[in-house]
Amino acid sequence: MLEILIHGAVSSAIYAMLAVGFTLIFGVARILNLAHGSFYALGAYGAYFFTSHLKLPLLPAALLAMAVVALFAIVVEKVLVRPMRRSQLAVLMITLAVALVVEQALFLTFGSEYRNVPAFVDAKFSIGGVDVGGQRLLALGASIALIALLWIFIQRTRLGSAILAVSQDPEAADYMGIPSDRIFSIVMGLSAALAAAAGVLAGPFLTVQPTMWLLPIVKAFAIVIVGGLGSIPGSILAALMLGYAETIVGYLISTSWTEIVSVLATLLMLIFRPAGIFGKRAAF
Amino acid sequence: MFGKRIDYAGAVGFIVFMAALPLVFGGNYLIGVLTVSVIYGIWAVSWDFMSGLTGRENFGHSLFIGVGAYTAGFLNTAFGFGGWWSLPAAMVMAMLFAVIIGLPTLRLKGPYFALAMLSGAVIMQRLMLIFWEQTGGEEGINGIEPLIRSQLGFYYFALAALVLVTALLLALARSHWGLILRAIRGDEATCQAAGINVTFYKIASLVISAAFAGAGGAIYAHYQLQVSPQLFAVVTSITIITMVYVGGMASIYGPVGGAILLVLLTELLREFGEWRLMIYSCTLILILFFVPHGLIAPTWRRFRSKLRRAQ
Repeated sequence: MLEILIHGAVSSAIYAMLAVGFTLIFGVARILNLAHGSFYALGAYGAYFFTSHLKLPLLPAALLAMAVVALFAIVVEKVLVRPMRRSQLAVLMITLAVALVVEQALFLTFGSEYRNVPAFVDAKFSIGGVDVGGQRLLALGASIALIALLWIFIQRTRLGSAILAVSQDPEAADYMGIPSDRIFSIVMGLSAALAAAAGVLAGPFLTVQPTMWLLPIVKAFAIVIVGGLGSIPGSILAALMLGYAETIVGYLISTSWTEIVSVLATLLMLIFRPAGIFGKRAAF
Repeated sequence: MFGKRIDYAGAVGFIVFMAALPLVFGGNYLIGVLTVSVIYGIWAVSWDFMSGLTGRENFGHSLFIGVGAYTAGFLNTAFGFGGWWSLPAAMVMAMLFAVIIGLPTLRLKGPYFALAMLSGAVIMQRLMLIFWEQTGGEEGINGIEPLIRSQLGFYYFALAALVLVTALLLALARSHWGLILRAIRGDEATCQAAGINVTFYKIASLVISAAFAGAGGAIYAHYQLQVSPQLFAVVTSITIITMVYVGGMASIYGPVGGAILLVLLTELLREFGEWRLMIYSCTLILILFFVPHGLIAPTWRRFRSKLRRAQ
């Protein structure tokens, strides 16, 4: 029971980090970014590369990986996505193409075998008789801290209010003198950095290989739909629901059914309540 | 009138070209590549009929392809039906699935519909793996009988199917029916207000699209002589959407060219070894970026208007 509680919390935390960034860039810029999973993969590979090839200590390597990924995301948004923002399908296609290019670039540089991302904490902790890897607990804590920081940033700072304003009405925000293009860049960078952080934190206990972007993006998409596209609290709640649902199904039935849980939940949600738990925007 | 004659001439030229290619160059390798490209053509055209016309991007087309292929596989190996039963059976099964998934999801728009269809395909792929005792799991179903023993004969059969499907869907798209579908893409509420039964048209077009995707799946099953859960994969749908995009959305004939072009491109890139997919993806970005309306259909339109002016 306690095992389910802890492991469910850890996977929920990783999902939440991915989903919050994904929903943020949609809410603000209306970009459905299929390259979001690539930022996660690049984060994990970045931490691996900076520690094993450049021999950096882990913490600077992790921060550097996040910064590089954020920069990459900003360039992608400026050069490739911005000219195509008129058509939603064009955005989906171009970000998908970016994801494929990233996958191939990772494959060509690092090969297809699994890579080991070093863990911050190697020790195992025992909580009420349940053994939990320290890295998993760290991932849980760090994810809560990062999402809380992001929330405070959006709610309390001037730049945060600008982001909120653009998400509510980009045109009106433009009239108020808010440079919406620059806001898009900032949000893209933030969302990518968050995904990269998820990659760095989850890398040590998940498999790191070039195709690792696909499943997380499907899950993030599912979570965001269940929570309501564009709603941060919604995606956190949905991440919790799906994280726990998967863990419970994994324990009670079999792990081969876990992958189906999130997709099934999405499909049911779309059929019965397409706007999601907290979504306000009409889906149909 | 003259424009129409150019179109017919273009279509005949294309068919003759495709039919003559294996005769001129020969070789089983080329025939194989062409057969695959023609089957992808069927899938791309059927995708375009529903999604291109109504503007609802179906990211789960592989669902219908897989259903068609597995129907063919089951009928042929488990129940011992002859190969030709596969085609109608696959179409009926795919249509059934289209009704089941279309009824609840077709009221959704844009990314919501895309994700709902994608989820459907992912669920089917997973179910194939979970019930591996019945479906053969990763390996799928092996030992399916070929429809036509000669490779060239099979290619001509697939080509004929492609021509038939394209002609049929093109005629539908240019009829009153196609007009309604385009109107739905423009403004659904107005269509409803005009007394058009929007739901019926959307479901019916998905069913038609699924039927031909399923038929294509059955043809593919009888070509590969085996089916695997990989047919349901998201990648299959995405490849098809890319082909339609390159061909020119909502033109119906464009995706045929897109499919053949991209399959040939993939084959030509084979000599680049592991750089192949990288070059392919970069080409894709360039195409998306510089010719957002596609390559084949707009080129043909430009060519046609030039001929007309010359006349």
